[in-house]
Amino acid sequence: MADIVPKENLLVRMQEDIRRALEKPEGERRWGMVIDTRKCVGCHACTLSCVAENKLPPGVVYRPVLDQEIGTYPNVTRRFMPRPCMQCENPPCVPVCPVNATYTRPDGIVAIDYEQCIGCRYCITACPYSARTFDVGYTYTEGTPEQEVYELLPNYEYGVEHARVPGSEESPIGNARKCHFCLHRLEQGALPMCVTTCIGVANYFGDLNDPDSLVAEMAAQPNAVVLKEELGAKPKVFYLV
Amino acid sequence: MTTFATPMPGNEVKSPNWVQWVAWALTVICLAAGAYGFYLRFTEGHAAASYGSYVPWGLWIAAYVALIGASAGAFGFAAVIFTLRKTEYYGLARLAMLVAFGAFAAGMTNVWLDLGHPFRFWKLLTQTSWTSIMGWMSWFYVIYGLILVVGLFLTRNGVIPKFMERFSWIAFLFAIAFAGAEGALFGVVGARALWESGLTPILFLVEAALFGVGLVAAGALIFGAMNQQAARMMGVAMLILLGLLLLLEWAEYTTALYASVPAKTSAVMTILTGPYWWVFWGLHLGLGVVLPGLLLLFGRGNALLTGIAGALIAAMGLATKLNLVLPALAQEELDGLAHAFTGPGLTFSYFPSTMEWLVWLGTLGLGGLIVLVGHRLFSLATPTRSSASK
Repeated sequence: MADIVPKENLLVRMQEDIRRALEKPEGERRWGMVIDTRKCVGCHACTLSCVAENKLPPGVVYRPVLDQEIGTYPNVTRRFMPRPCMQCENPPCVPVCPVNATYTRPDGIVAIDYEQCIGCRYCITACPYSARTFDVGYTYTEGTPEQEVYELLPNYEYGVEHARVPGSEESPIGNARKCHFCLHRLEQGALPMCVTTCIGVANYFGDLNDPDSLVAEMAAQPNAVVLKEELGAKPKVFYLV
Repeated sequence: MTTFATPMPGNEVKSPNWVQWVAWALTVICLAAGAYGFYLRFTEGHAAASYGSYVPWGLWIAAYVALIGASAGAFGFAAVIFTLRKTEYYGLARLAMLVAFGAFAAGMTNVWLDLGHPFRFWKLLTQTSWTSIMGWMSWFYVIYGLILVVGLFLTRNGVIPKFMERFSWIAFLFAIAFAGAEGALFGVVGARALWESGLTPILFLVEAALFGVGLVAAGALIFGAMNQQAARMMGVAMLILLGLLLLLEWAEYTTALYASVPAKTSAVMTILTGPYWWVFWGLHLGLGVVLPGLLLLFGRGNALLTGIAGALIAAMGLATKLNLVLPALAQEELDGLAHAFTGPGLTFSYFPSTMEWLVWLGTLGLGGLIVLVGHRLFSLATPTRSSASK
């Protein structure tokens, strides 16, 4: 029991890990995430907080939670697998982009330059995790008498204000979009929204290059795995199984 | 009605005028439908399309690869004729260049309208990423378009310049690189088991040649440019290419099914037994392989049957490419993804929307218009000869 109940507030510790990482040059950080599937209860709070934080329109999702059934009756279990962008070290989405709109930042986050993206969606086909979605331009209040104000609120992805103009093809409409570990929050010293809102603290986040960080400690656990390891993309999102 | 192939006395097969009228009528209908489709595309954007996040490419991309492939094939056909100095087919080669240009324009319009930001297309040329096959293809398209326009312009008076005969082998190699690179665009995508195969670029090469010759045969029928000799030559070429296509498809599908790697098997089974099984069995195999194969076998040297077979092959090229593009994308990459989060576009099923069909028709109309007008503009009805024969 003593092992299960944490002796410290994990969120506070991760916050401190981030503060330490931000003191380093950007190229020396390596942001990563560990998701403890044994703690995830499938509440989808992370999915929804992500939608709210990034003002995601219909059809765009950065972090769905996969509900997987394993085994056959009577030996059946259920597993929940939150699936953010894996921020791969060898991302298949980057080299295929014909205009360098998607790239790996020095801190390891795979970013998209919305103003550069031409919307060809080659990157979406290249991602083995379906982590990229296409912003077609839908709105939640489509076909209703009034366009709600919240639909027009700008998002601040990548630290830039992106106003949403329904009916137009102004970015991010017409772009490929994906999880970026809430970079805009991260650079202000805040944890990604999904980590903050997880009711069971099933997400660990921080600098994988920092051996004292919680995330590095968790990623080194023998039960830490990555998805589709055989593809060689080297994800920086690990799962504890 | 005039024939324009190098005269072979008593051997010309003239098409009735109504064939061209039908071609014009179909073109106008397609353009009219397309006009409304383009209107929808630019007023409602991609929201009026059925593709989305999990199946990000649809009808337009399939049409684009089919048309660009056919264009490269027709162009390669012309290049071979010039390289081998087959003067008796020079008229056919000129028609092939025009048909290649029409298919190219139609294909490029499909992919242009498919872009999320069509008016940023220039970035493909000014900020090209050389690690991307698509980046390379952008430049290939520019070079290819220029070659076609210059070729058509230089031969507009019916005389093939000497240097074109001498250097057409380079153009032929370019056509191979071009069509192969189109296949590599898919072949390098490791995330899609159906695409990621060394056979994919080879399959694209064979399909390009097949659809290209088919398109030229159809064009030759419309413009009455096919004599018995040409019909026999194109018929044999199409039969050989049909055989090669079947061989490659057999190799690809049977090895996938035998190996039973789930991602690939699942995609192949989607093609063979999925909800759109009839696209493979009916459109591709039935109308695109078996029927034209029979027409060619039993109608050797018959211009009408060869032209119809060519038209069927070229038209069913779309079915072949739909079977490449869609089943690969319609696979859940992670178990549970389909139901993890719902919303428009977050689905693995796809059928083109009305807007997509209309736009596609419009692009075909555009290609048809280019060929019909170009036939007069570049005086393709005049006899063609080599400048060396002056």
